[in-house]
Amino acid sequence: MPAPVEKARPDAREGAIDRRRFLKRGLFGGALLVGAGSLPFVFRTTRRGDAPRAPLQLLSADEYAVFAAVTARIVPGDGADASWPRAEALDCAGKVDALMATVHPEVGRDFRRLLRLIESGFLGALTAGSPRPFTRASAAEQDARLEAWRRSRFALLRSGYQAVKRLADAAYYSSPEVYPLVGYPGPPLVPQLPPATGTP
Amino acid sequence: MTAGRIINGSEIPDLSSVEVDFVVVGSGAGGATAAAVLTAAGAQVALLEEGGHYTRRDFNMQESWAYPALYQEHGNRATDDLSILILQGRSVGGGTTVNWTSSFRTPERTLALWASRHGLRGLDAATLAPHFEMVEKRIDVGSGDPDDVNNNNRKLREGAAKLGWQPELIHRSVKGCARLGYCGMGCPLDAKRSSRTTFLADAVAGGANVYADCRATLIETDRGRARAVVAEVLDRATDRPRGRFVAYARRGVVLAGGAINTPALLLRSKAGIDGGRVGRRTFLHPTVPLIAFYDQPIEGFYGPPQSVAVHHFADRGERVGYFFETAPIHPMLAALAFPGFGDTHRKIVEQLPYAQATIALLIDGHHDDEGGTVEAARDGRIKLSYPLSAPLHEAAVSALGDMARLQLAAGAREVMTLHETPLVIRSEADLGAIAAAPFGPNRHTLFSAHQMGGAAMGGDPARSVVDARGRHHQLENLWITDGSIFPTSLGVNPQLSIYAHAHLFATGIAKAG
Repeated sequence: MPAPVEKARPDAREGAIDRRRFLKRGLFGGALLVGAGSLPFVFRTTRRGDAPRAPLQLLSADEYAVFAAVTARIVPGDGADASWPRAEALDCAGKVDALMATVHPEVGRDFRRLLRLIESGFLGALTAGSPRPFTRASAAEQDARLEAWRRSRFALLRSGYQAVKRLADAAYYSSPEVYPLVGYPGPPLVPQLPPATGTP
Repeated sequence: MTAGRIINGSEIPDLSSVEVDFVVVGSGAGGATAAAVLTAAGAQVALLEEGGHYTRRDFNMQESWAYPALYQEHGNRATDDLSILILQGRSVGGGTTVNWTSSFRTPERTLALWASRHGLRGLDAATLAPHFEMVEKRIDVGSGDPDDVNNNNRKLREGAAKLGWQPELIHRSVKGCARLGYCGMGCPLDAKRSSRTTFLADAVAGGANVYADCRATLIETDRGRARAVVAEVLDRATDRPRGRFVAYARRGVVLAGGAINTPALLLRSKAGIDGGRVGRRTFLHPTVPLIAFYDQPIEGFYGPPQSVAVHHFADRGERVGYFFETAPIHPMLAALAFPGFGDTHRKIVEQLPYAQATIALLIDGHHDDEGGTVEAARDGRIKLSYPLSAPLHEAAVSALGDMARLQLAAGAREVMTLHETPLVIRSEADLGAIAAAPFGPNRHTLFSAHQMGGAAMGGDPARSVVDARGRHHQLENLWITDGSIFPTSLGVNPQLSIYAHAHLFATGIAKAG
């Protein structure tokens, strides 16, 4: 199998932005998650995809739509053959909503703020020249935005990218439907033995 | 004495309380051992455990169940910038429920460092030896079985042997192991000798009660003594508090919630934190994985996760040392670690059966590096920061080169780094690229399965939190028996050391308390 690896690019050209814009963004970066609260109109234009299968436990319908759109780009997509299930088919966004409803409430709030930032066309324009809401951007623009966060010089954007990337991958690749596609036969069959004595 | 039992949160009435001789917080290696020794000495013990009570019939070997149910923060624990994933257990049995069974005694080199640099007196190999022996017997530590070596570990052994780096067989704490490969998700056979099947079982048989789903939130103190532990009773489905429970301690309190939760509990309680040492010098053995692909299937998802270790680079003199082991390769954890997204990422994950994972664990705290910090944030969160200092950065990059060399020696078709833009290494000539690749927070996958420090032992109360027998310098009836007592990282997998130190300390607590 050939090496599935992108060609290394020098770090200094990440995001292809000039130095002045970088400095501006540097000032902006630290307050990013806090500032997300002051983007109140972000979800006004959010495009909602498939409705959640079950009542949402943490996210709003708009936040759910943003995470579902992100997940669709994170997991196998355009180049994968039809045997790979779509994220929607595995209810990835629903699973993540349920999981994140059980973490510390402040972590849940941060996650929701992060989705607001991702949806923001303002930030999209700034990071990848893509001024539309994430859910209304083309697949190529969405990828460019995720790529800009992934390779950003700003630690906060890289953290934000990792947060959604890991949650999406966790929901997708822990699904038994995906096991055969990655060459994993699944857990072995273990006979249920009678309870051991002396063990609570 | 009547046997105690494990009580689920759903059975604990709101605002109820108990009064016992000793309250123990945490049911992993440190807490279960302390509870067993104290119970055997005739003391009444109540043990609080934040996580749920699960048995082998619950362990379905599915990552989607195991990580949310059996790990801290439902598998989401990480440093505050998400750059280091923290794998840390949380259930009845604590870390021992999900531990990969690797058992090492505390290296003499590390004990000597604690004596010379941290003023620790009376804690040498001879003092610890009888306690290691007792613990090793109870949790069935074997002597290293060549039949335990799966392909993933075989490649580590072969590569190291070719380079003269002296691979060793790991001693494992198992009995009747079927070599399934799912230690990290709870053993469905109870072949792994977790605390739940050993010391905790002993404590319960001797009369101790274990209160599951109880998160300790406050230590009440009174004139230099710990008086009670206040806990939130959690609803297991939502993990939200459904009530409050108080355990009053007549004789003493033993903290064993692990090296992140214990310092956070002291800080939140503002108990015994004068001097500012609590939550400082937290060590993680920051762990750098490197993936190699082979032409033949490795199937790193099956077989004992760890059976071979390489300590050739543990002592690098002035530079930070490291050691090599392997990590099991199940789809979810691998997908999290592999860089990129979309089809780039898919093409890597598709090679899963051919992947071998070597990991380098950096031995932090033995030089001038100060590790990380734990804080109890005002909003109730625990904040863990761990900046990767220059000496650790150097060690990580050096380790990547050595691991790549090892994997090539073992016959890898190619080696792939987990930089966000991965490097592919096919020969020695490609190794130079490693030093030039960007390495930093969220630019390369890092994780930690070993949390240590934050409430260190030491002779000087101004520079440490507990003494060489685990007693708090400021609270006379409070002891700590988990990994937070270690003044530095250990340089080996810490679980057995936590057991043995807890065993030594508890023997003293039973007499003193």
